[in-house]
Amino acid sequence: MSVLARSVGNAFRNKIRTAAVVAVLAVAIGLALAMLVANQAVGAKVQELNASVGTTLTVNPAGGQGFEGGGEPLTTTEAQTVASVANVTSVVGTKALRLQTASTTTASTGATTGTTQQAGPGGGFGPGGQQPTVSTNLTAAVDAGTLGNRNSSTGSTTQPTRTLPITATGTGAEVDSTGKALNITSGTGLGDYTAAEAKALVGSSLAEKNNLTVGSTFTVQDKTFTVAGIFDAGTTFGNNAVYVTLPEAQALAATPDELSTMIVTVNSMENVDSTKTAVQNALGTDKADVTQGQRNLETAVSSLNSVKNISLIAFIAALATAGIIILLIMVMLVRERRREIGVLKAIGAPNRTIGLQFVLESLVLVALGSVVGAVIASLASGGIASALISSNTTTTAVTRTQRGGGLAGAVPNGSLPGGGGFQGGGQGGPFGGASQLLTSVTASVSPGVLAAGIAAVFAVAIIGALVPALLTARIRPIEVLRGE
Amino acid sequence: MIVVKDLVRQFKSGDRTIKPVNGVSFELGKGSLASIVGKSGSGKSTLLSLLGALDKPTSGDVVVDGVSLAGLPDGKLTEYRRRDIGFVFQQFNLIPNLSALDNVMLPLEFAGVRKSARLQRAKELLEQVQLDPEKHARRTNRLSGGEQQRVAIARALANEPKLILADEPTGNLDEQTGEHIIELLSSLSRDDNTTILVVTHDRSLAQKTERCFRLQQGRLTEEVRSGSRR
Repeated sequence: MSVLARSVGNAFRNKIRTAAVVAVLAVAIGLALAMLVANQAVGAKVQELNASVGTTLTVNPAGGQGFEGGGEPLTTTEAQTVASVANVTSVVGTKALRLQTASTTTASTGATTGTTQQAGPGGGFGPGGQQPTVSTNLTAAVDAGTLGNRNSSTGSTTQPTRTLPITATGTGAEVDSTGKALNITSGTGLGDYTAAEAKALVGSSLAEKNNLTVGSTFTVQDKTFTVAGIFDAGTTFGNNAVYVTLPEAQALAATPDELSTMIVTVNSMENVDSTKTAVQNALGTDKADVTQGQRNLETAVSSLNSVKNISLIAFIAALATAGIIILLIMVMLVRERRREIGVLKAIGAPNRTIGLQFVLESLVLVALGSVVGAVIASLASGGIASALISSNTTTTAVTRTQRGGGLAGAVPNGSLPGGGGFQGGGQGGPFGGASQLLTSVTASVSPGVLAAGIAAVFAVAIIGALVPALLTARIRPIEVLRGE
Repeated sequence: MIVVKDLVRQFKSGDRTIKPVNGVSFELGKGSLASIVGKSGSGKSTLLSLLGALDKPTSGDVVVDGVSLAGLPDGKLTEYRRRDIGFVFQQFNLIPNLSALDNVMLPLEFAGVRKSARLQRAKELLEQVQLDPEKHARRTNRLSGGEQQRVAIARALANEPKLILADEPTGNLDEQTGEHIIELLSSLSRDDNTTILVVTHDRSLAQKTERCFRLQQGRLTEEVRSGSRR
């Protein structure tokens, strides 16, 4: 009989005790693994939130935002100034344009098709001056509806029913106007976003409306653009849009060096506040408004971090409990079998053989406990993680409602004001879907996580078995044999 | 082969110090069969455990084939017990949840003997001590006292030790089996040149040994025989 066979046999020497030990271990190990899974799930979500929208600042010209307000436009020189501010990792400039279907432009403004309108009534789209209107052969994918027509009315005069303009954005990187990476569903990106090129990314609904696919062409201000890719912004408003390179948009608007917005990415969540102040000071309060649109997410991330810490502590506590259980059991077993150790020593067993025998015995118990615990964890972890995160999200939503005066927090997709203007036939903003992100966390028992947790318990078991066995084996055999 | 020099082992018992072994000295040649007799509590088992390196003396030394046990580290003492000593305990000290065969195979396993070889050897030894073959695979806690005694003797013989130390080897055996065990030990001493030292109350066993020592109050004296046993 080998050491392994002897150890397995010893593990089942007292079947009732073995069953009890395995059950207790399984609960502790299962809880530890469930907590580890929850910790990983929350950690991944925190990382995702931080990486996506948690560390961006939006810079708009002072006094102007979207289609509203006035002031002086931002410039590329100012973008360079912002890039040199500490903790800023990237600055992406955007230039917004409104593309108006050629016939509508003519009808509403009386201007010649193809001209660029820098200001003025603009057919009732607001005086902003930020977004020059240029003509296109594209048809908007969003109907004006009640909201769109209400937005277009001025005073008591109601404008005739019309089609909405299409938002075109020149961007310095493959990100949307909130700094999030564009989700290109077909085709490719635009390549070099800092060079003027007659290529465009088209929103999925706009592409569908105009029968555009990758490689199709359309015109903007009599210039032919090729569709390089189709993207999905996730919202109806967002998909009624076109992205071109920043220099191309500036050329179309005939405003080189002018920027509508700057998306500033900060290196970490902790530095967002200080960097916001630093950017504001660098540009001057009379020159730019710096906003941190994801305030709500900061609260959510903070809460999620708390949950992450709690789950980590619970994991460690459950693991420590499993370790203490196996340690005490092995101490008890070794104590109970002191005489046996003495006999083994007396007939010439080396200490390492005795240690190995008890280690293998404890590993058999832990292996059984881990298998049962893993089953418990796989059944419980999903529920525990979603319970932790859903309760956390609810708290955040309530807080957000109170802070935001009911403007944003209560809406299902968590859209916020201050990001994207009020045009369009429905809600939807740059931060829409944040709440959805939070609640979409699902805990899955990944093999790596399970292996790490079980390896930790095994390590504790090895130490728990080895220490008392070796301590006993070091005693002279006769002391053990005489003591019984 | 074995030289015992002024061996002392003392214990504290409350305020008193007791010396079950107090200045014991003797020599045993290779292949000799000797016995130690004495009253219960006279220190016979303590002396045997000192000779078997299960315990360390308070003072004095045991020299086996020129090697002093007092100077050996624990690892070497374990090796000495595994290679050179066969110990038969008064209480048998078998592993209760292992079969008779597994118990006999344990010392062979520790000595690194291959599984097939140790199984073969264990079967032979159990047959030698006259344990029914049908009981070879039985757990030792389901064997009678006499059967356990024979398994313990078989285990002590497993690694063909140079010195067999047996504490009451016939104490639990019927007369016939006891005779057989005595004959087995005698043949080992005679044929295999194995040194055997038995502690016993059994006068018939003591009389069959080459030399007989008496332990009284920790002191050893040799009984003088008129003739040789062989």
